[in-house]
Amino acid sequence: MEGSASSSRSTSFHDFLHRMRHPSSLDLVRAIKSFIVSFSFYQPKPENDGRRVQDFFLSMEVAIRNHPLWATATEEDIDCAMEGLEKYIMTKLFSRTFAASPEDAKIDHEISEKISLLQTFLKPEHLDIPPVLHNEASWLLAEKELQKINAFKAPQEKLSTIMNCCRVINNLLLNAAMSEYVPAGADDFIPVLIYVTIKANPPMLHSNLKFIKLYRRQTKLISEAEYYFTNLVSAKTFIIELNSKSLSIDEIKFEECMQAAKLAKKVTSELHSACQIKQEVKNESNVSNKMHNKLDTREFHVLQHGTNYPYMEAESKDLAMEDVDILLNHYKDLVAKYTIICKAINYLSMSEKEPLLHQLEMQGEGSMLSECHGINTNTNDRTTSHEDKLL
Amino acid sequence: MGCGSSFPDRDSRQLGRPSPENGGGDAKNLRVKLVLLGDSGVGKSCIVLRFVRGQFDPTSKVTVGASFLSQTIALQDSTTVKFEIWDTAGQERYAALAPLYYRGAAVAVIAYDITSPESFSKAQYWVKELQKHGSPDIVMALVGNKADLQEKREVAVEDGMDYAEKNGMFFIETSAKTADNINELFEEIAKRLPRPSVT
Repeated sequence: MEGSASSSRSTSFHDFLHRMRHPSSLDLVRAIKSFIVSFSFYQPKPENDGRRVQDFFLSMEVAIRNHPLWATATEEDIDCAMEGLEKYIMTKLFSRTFAASPEDAKIDHEISEKISLLQTFLKPEHLDIPPVLHNEASWLLAEKELQKINAFKAPQEKLSTIMNCCRVINNLLLNAAMSEYVPAGADDFIPVLIYVTIKANPPMLHSNLKFIKLYRRQTKLISEAEYYFTNLVSAKTFIIELNSKSLSIDEIKFEECMQAAKLAKKVTSELHSACQIKQEVKNESNVSNKMHNKLDTREFHVLQHGTNYPYMEAESKDLAMEDVDILLNHYKDLVAKYTIICKAINYLSMSEKEPLLHQLEMQGEGSMLSECHGINTNTNDRTTSHEDKLL
Repeated sequence: MGCGSSFPDRDSRQLGRPSPENGGGDAKNLRVKLVLLGDSGVGKSCIVLRFVRGQFDPTSKVTVGASFLSQTIALQDSTTVKFEIWDTAGQERYAALAPLYYRGAAVAVIAYDITSPESFSKAQYWVKELQKHGSPDIVMALVGNKADLQEKREVAVEDGMDYAEKNGMFFIETSAKTADNINELFEEIAKRLPRPSVT
């Protein structure tokens, strides 16, 4: 079904382009081109732009209906032409009209950040999704559909990813209803859609929804399409407003999970940026290269986890004055990271801490990290003496 | 428990009036957005499934989803009404999302369970909310469902009737289980729809 829908869409688009190349379409082509050019005369303003595009679609529909090239056309042919037109225009105007305002980009970022925190602990039970609807395969399929939303430029294609996602959920519900399960309609649909949306974290969710709302042909955003579109809007709204009261979860537990997720995120990004700094420093310093070569393989495996500590095997006589700055940077960075990791680990509950420590131990780093569990005060001393030894 | 869950559903974009513009059909063939509201467990989805599956006109196009359904009925004056039924989630945590659904709905069906006074209070809450925020000319129907469970009744027929009358609504008791009054509900709604004037 999905396949046939997209293939008929691409056929109609090629048919549209084909007809537009016909000499008798010159007037239509001129109108389209001048409409697209006219956009560069104005500042982007989403609501106005939306209205102008919609008005243009309507006037073009009249022009196409009266055009000799479509003289014998059926309603379906006209619709195909209009679909082609929408796709063409919105692809051309995409960079101007999609996520056009800084506020939209900000909302996208906030939603995506919040979802990434929720992903770390949200379970279907928190939304009271009944066990009969727990179906990882269906959920994954629905997530994959939703994640495609940013892969297309045409509003119709973006909308169809939402429709496909909702159809997968729909089928899951209808299948459950065929067993002894009592169908509960939207009571079941919405929680599953929200859960799938959180698992999928579809890129630029807000901007994509706004783009569809403004630029999908209005005569097409009706009935079933409008209903499912509205459901995703409502899932988005729910996620933005989500707090402990929105879920079946203890308020304190919710706050703890959110805090832990925030800290973990911070550690990851600090590590990431630290790695980048290291990389730059290393590239500038030939000493680093010199030292790096001296590392024996036994030590090297410790260093493989994304960072470079070129002085690990250095002797003090190898060091030059210019290494002091680099070493000092390394030192500050290590202390900062270590402190954050300790804090993050202390925020975890015992049940979450143990498997994590166990896993790290397996990788040979556990002893260091289990030490840091529970120790906050003497972090500096510990690290200092470590650095001293190196120096 | 039988067909035992409900979902409030509301919102349409036709500004409360089935209009021939915006794809609303023409004067003889109306397309109408109907939103379904009510507490979880009152049997909303069952009412709709009964209605949609119970119509045996082979020419009508039926959409059966888990939460969106459409069904066309023919009236005696040879007009047709296509109901597009928007289900809404009845759980409290989704109550704030309802305006997204009932915006522009031409019809709101507000359902409660005659064995549950709480669901009747919830229905009154939805009526008040629609009076405040719904389209001014929305057609509202109050539906007491599970009428087959007479022995467990806790909301008197008169209570439902009085409340509906005071608020200018149509009132009916139904049983999705036995199909009692299900078609009557939708036929009555169809008759009450404001007709676009034929010009």
